[in-house]
Amino acid sequence: MKQDVRSGWCVVEIRGRADAETADELEQMLRAAVEQHAKVAADFGGVDYISSAGLRAVLQAARAAQEHNAEFVVCQLRGSVKKVFEVSGMHHVLRIQGDPPC
Amino acid sequence: MWHNQAILGTAEITLDGNLQELGRLAEEVAWFCEENALDTDVEFDLNLVMEELFTNAVRHGGCEGVKEAARVRLELRDDCVEAEFADRGREFDPSTAAAPNVNAPLAERPAGGMGLHLVRRTVSDLAYRRAEGWNRVTMRRPI
Repeated sequence: MKQDVRSGWCVVEIRGRADAETADELEQMLRAAVEQHAKVAADFGGVDYISSAGLRAVLQAARAAQEHNAEFVVCQLRGSVKKVFEVSGMHHVLRIQGDPPC
Repeated sequence: MWHNQAILGTAEITLDGNLQELGRLAEEVAWFCEENALDTDVEFDLNLVMEELFTNAVRHGGCEGVKEAARVRLELRDDCVEAEFADRGREFDPSTAAAPNVNAPLAERPAGGMGLHLVRRTVSDLAYRRAEGWNRVTMRRPI
């Protein structure tokens, strides 16, 4: 995972698998970002697999963003990863968009 | 690379009750799909379903730390992959688990419960039986 600040947004680039083995690391990374920045984008362009454990990490980060009044955006969902977000109704509770906001 | 037991069209994978086994499970599923020319969507779905059932058995079924706690069997048919997930955990039928409310707002979303929802939405013909101390869940993923 890589973190980059551009145009006021902290963009967290996530790569590889977001599964039960890696979910804790993902949650920590995203939580740290929303605690330190007012605008955070989780860029899933490099993620080729996600399970419910990965979704839970994203949800927990969204809750932390709410607590810290931070904007939190999920972007660049692809293929089956996008399908998992949709089937789980994540679009009801997360701001999801195609391209990164900056 | 050594595989648990694999001939073209069939794969059998034995897993210890440890989430670090997920990497090996993913490799074995990838190998099965590659050998049988199945596309990446099929690989993704088989991985997803097996991870959810395995993680459930380890975290909630009492399989944590148990040697050879779970078995996965994949078999290629003409129009689908037939899969079986078996574990030695507490008796549990995933087909009867309560469905989560996927329309609930963030504040009302429980932390868990989404895994089995994903299983039911991803595969068909989900069936459960308890036999000789094992939970045995069978399913099909159309190809």
